[in-house]
Amino acid sequence: MTTSGPPSGATASEPARGGAVSTSTPPPEARDEQQGRQIGELVLAVLLAALGVYLLIDAGAIAVPGSSNTVGPRFFPYAVGGLTLLTGAALALRVLRGDRGPADDSEDVDPDAPTDWRAVAVIAVAFLAHALLINVIGWPLAVALMFAAVAWALGAVGIVRPFLIGLALGCVVWIVFVKALNVALPGGTVLEFLTDWF
Amino acid sequence: MALDDLLAGFGDALTPGNLLFALLGVLLGTAVGVLPGIGPAMTVALLLPATYVLEPTSALIMFAGIYYGGMYGGSTTSILLNTPGESSSIMTALEGNKMAKAGRGSAALATAAIGSFVAGTIATLLLALVAPTVVDLAIGVTAADYFALAVIAFVAVATVLGSSPLRGLASLCLGLYLGLVGTDVLTGQERFTLGIPQLSDGIDVVVVAVALFAVGESLYVASRLRRGSVQVIDHKGNWMTREDFRRSWKPWLRGTAYGFPLGALPAGGAEIPTFLSYATERKLTKHPDEFGKGAIEGVAGPEAANNAAAAGVLVPLLTLGIPTSATAAIILAAFQGYGIQPGPTLLTTEGPLVWALIASLFIGNAMLLVLNLPLVGVWVRLLRIPRPYLYAGILAFASLGSFAVNADPLDLVLLMVLGLLGFVMRRYGWPVAPAVIGLILGPIAETNLRRALAISDGDLGVLVDTWFSRIVLLLALLVVVVPIVLRLVRGPRTTPAELQHADAKTDAGDRSTL
Repeated sequence: MTTSGPPSGATASEPARGGAVSTSTPPPEARDEQQGRQIGELVLAVLLAALGVYLLIDAGAIAVPGSSNTVGPRFFPYAVGGLTLLTGAALALRVLRGDRGPADDSEDVDPDAPTDWRAVAVIAVAFLAHALLINVIGWPLAVALMFAAVAWALGAVGIVRPFLIGLALGCVVWIVFVKALNVALPGGTVLEFLTDWF
Repeated sequence: MALDDLLAGFGDALTPGNLLFALLGVLLGTAVGVLPGIGPAMTVALLLPATYVLEPTSALIMFAGIYYGGMYGGSTTSILLNTPGESSSIMTALEGNKMAKAGRGSAALATAAIGSFVAGTIATLLLALVAPTVVDLAIGVTAADYFALAVIAFVAVATVLGSSPLRGLASLCLGLYLGLVGTDVLTGQERFTLGIPQLSDGIDVVVVAVALFAVGESLYVASRLRRGSVQVIDHKGNWMTREDFRRSWKPWLRGTAYGFPLGALPAGGAEIPTFLSYATERKLTKHPDEFGKGAIEGVAGPEAANNAAAAGVLVPLLTLGIPTSATAAIILAAFQGYGIQPGPTLLTTEGPLVWALIASLFIGNAMLLVLNLPLVGVWVRLLRIPRPYLYAGILAFASLGSFAVNADPLDLVLLMVLGLLGFVMRRYGWPVAPAVIGLILGPIAETNLRRALAISDGDLGVLVDTWFSRIVLLLALLVVVVPIVLRLVRGPRTTPAELQHADAKTDAGDRSTL
């Protein structure tokens, strides 16, 4: 009902694209990293402006019931779309004029390290795979596999130990949340059979 | 009147079962909050699903413990780890870190703990006293007034937080967009759902908060992880001396005086009061030579301000239903998860529940003081968790929290897509908090705007019809204009590091008053 043509597709994949565009310019040196950053920032700003355009276009497709008075369901989307477009455009201009986003500090971040795209990609894929596996092999096992892959991507030694730690974590959490707190979480055939008596 | 209600609240909260939930909340909140890379907002978002299965009173009591515990854990991290953490703890970190390095870690942790307790207790008491008054005033508040309040909250979080107002605005726009996705409440029309049936219920705030904070942070850390062993400073040295107490108690009270009112105003939570507190203590101290090398006043003041602001934020949240920080936005989502809508009627409709919540804030605060001084060794061990396991574990809990909401794998796909968005936002210096606030406050703003305009038959003049809305909108305008003017006149804003190292003779203290 509210879907429109190409713009909506572009918006849906926005975050993924933001990453993908920057990936296509791997930074072997610090200067390239700087340039890559500026391109990345610019792409992000342009995507925001594109989101604004999509909102403005798609807002026109929202059905307005005949009974509603002057301010229907389209008004706010138009306002948000306009604001988004203006912000995206202004930000793109600022980035082009050399304005750089402030570095985001975090306890475990080395601001001078080159970007490790491989780790980001491995984690994203491992997480998506675990999302699809939950209903097949159960949450504990799916999480254990994801845990092992993420720990490996972040530089943990070995693969068996991370997997076993992940499996122990998954099983304990599953038992606590499912058996004690009654959260709905698929446990997988084996674990559900073993804890059936509980 | 309020006192009787509060005592009744204590009656509800002081049952053995509820005390146990408070203890559990405090322990979980501190344990998760102390983990590096996890701020209070993320702590609350990650632990929220654990409270969903409880009945509302127990859930809120546990939740109060998580909230204060998360605030508390953050300061321990910033004192004992060598690097800055979330924004409201940065000021504590400046001097606390130096103290720890100079072998006075125990004293720094103690002044933070007692300061948090003092500030938390006073501020929670103020919350209990102020809330009924604000509710009385709020009864006459019109839809247009609400819209004005939402606007100033938007402006404040977008421009005050972080160093780039335009990027804050960009983040806010993303949040407003995410808030639009779903079914329009007033007309039942689907908007921006891309034809995906699961999106017609809207995007869950917990999923967005966990994605932007936890998943985004994990990906960002993964992209440039600090390799090698983890450096945790020993928390050794003497406990607070009599001299330390003498130097700490005034900063505690001054920090509280900054924190509570500024937290209660839509001014972006704890960031400004901690900043102001630090600048004030630096000016008033009798030991200016110690600042930048580990002055205890510089830990006591900001830490008190931080906790007082945490209680102050609850004033607009409980009485008006307006969240003014990312953490508050998630608490609002929690309330909605329990089927409770914060606002002026909350104290009448759910009075006992609210007073039990406020009472458990007192209880949680006292528990934190008792627990944290002896348990600090445990928290330090948590700080040493090898980073690959830490972030893998964070993602495991992110999965649990998001999957538990609807038991739909699509939520996890959405989680990762939004997590990648959070990653690029972080990478390019966009603050994340405005997006979370935009998501939850956007629909509130829209509903009130449309209500106001429906009454006035589309006449925009209704938005400035009352003195209240005029003043609030004027303030919102000032929040945008004044920093721009100040920057033109006085140059860029002082950063925390500049403030710390500024020479006593420069005017850094003056400039920092924003």
